[in-house]
Amino acid sequence: MPTRALTSLVLMVALAAGATRPSLAQTTAPKPRPVPRTADGKPDLSGIWIAGGIALTFGEAEARRIQEADKAAGRPAPPPREPPPYKPEADKKRQEYLARRGIDDPMARCLLTGVPRITVRPLPFEIVQLANRVIILYEIHHAFRIIPTDGRPHPDDIEPSYLGDSVARWDGDTLVVDVTGFNDKTWLAGVGTIHSEKLRVTERYRRDTYDTIIYDVTMEDPEVFTKPWHQQETFRLRPGERLREYECIENNEDIVRWEKLLDTEFKK
Amino acid sequence: MRAAVLVACGLLVGTASMFAHHSFAAEYDGSLPVTVSGTVAKIDWQNPHIYLYVDAKDDQGKVAQWKFEGYPPNMLVRQGWRRDTTMKVGDMITVTGWRARLDPHQGAAREVTFADGKKLMAGPPAGTGGQ
Repeated sequence: MPTRALTSLVLMVALAAGATRPSLAQTTAPKPRPVPRTADGKPDLSGIWIAGGIALTFGEAEARRIQEADKAAGRPAPPPREPPPYKPEADKKRQEYLARRGIDDPMARCLLTGVPRITVRPLPFEIVQLANRVIILYEIHHAFRIIPTDGRPHPDDIEPSYLGDSVARWDGDTLVVDVTGFNDKTWLAGVGTIHSEKLRVTERYRRDTYDTIIYDVTMEDPEVFTKPWHQQETFRLRPGERLREYECIENNEDIVRWEKLLDTEFKK
Repeated sequence: MRAAVLVACGLLVGTASMFAHHSFAAEYDGSLPVTVSGTVAKIDWQNPHIYLYVDAKDDQGKVAQWKFEGYPPNMLVRQGWRRDTTMKVGDMITVTGWRARLDPHQGAAREVTFADGKKLMAGPPAGTGGQ
């Protein structure tokens, strides 16, 4: 068969096949982007992320889009939430705070909230990963944490504080942050989730895909818990996002009305 | 200009949710949804919540000013709001939300419908707690 005729035949077969079958591009899912790494080979956690409240901050359509993408990717559902394992006395206090519908929430007074609650607020935060430290910038409260990753221990002059003192190490591809030195003025993860100054928090950050970080957190406090309390959240990367200003104290008039509620509904 | 206030009671809507900094249930009653149509009298575009003031007539034709609490500006802009552009004093709007526990003319805004039919989220769904 002459070359030109052969070429035409091949072209016709190819066109016919193309007319009846989807193209390769249509049938092959795009290859997932690899988890980026820094020069020292560690997973790079840098980026703007959000853990909770996507429907609140970015709208319900965006929350649905992420839900559908998770389903299409076969992403497993996060484990069910554990209730806080409080000792009876601490649980009694928590129940009182719940009965008062969170009116006593320190964060509602615009006080800095602690770890891990600051992470799961419905506002983004930025992780900046450097060679010897990781910096987390939170939109809420204009807060920041500078977390050494060079092997240094906690300093020996820690004063109890809202965010505590953090140091970190790498366990394989997981950044493990040890946080201690907390005051007892914050709630951990919801209404009435009190703790003492003996609180110790271990956070584990693992960038399992380009778009997500699995955040496992363990809270230990022998004063209030019968055993460690675990929680897991998924951080979502927000490409193109930027941190904005949120100045909570500007006109926090809620607390004036809450004083009235405390004087009437909850007067003892 | 016709304005009306429609108040309805219904089932608790939504699950535990939060504003950026306090629980919904502290101040609002998720079992008391409210819909208010009227004229925007004032907008406090500020933290930690914006406040919308809406002049609306009740069933007897008496005008009352409603005050609605909404998301702070940093959350609203992410859902399409722009200060001084999206909503102006004098605009006719309808606000849906839930009643406050103390002030009979205060509410938590969930959604605002504008005169052209456009809708924007203004605050969180009702909830019983906070995270």
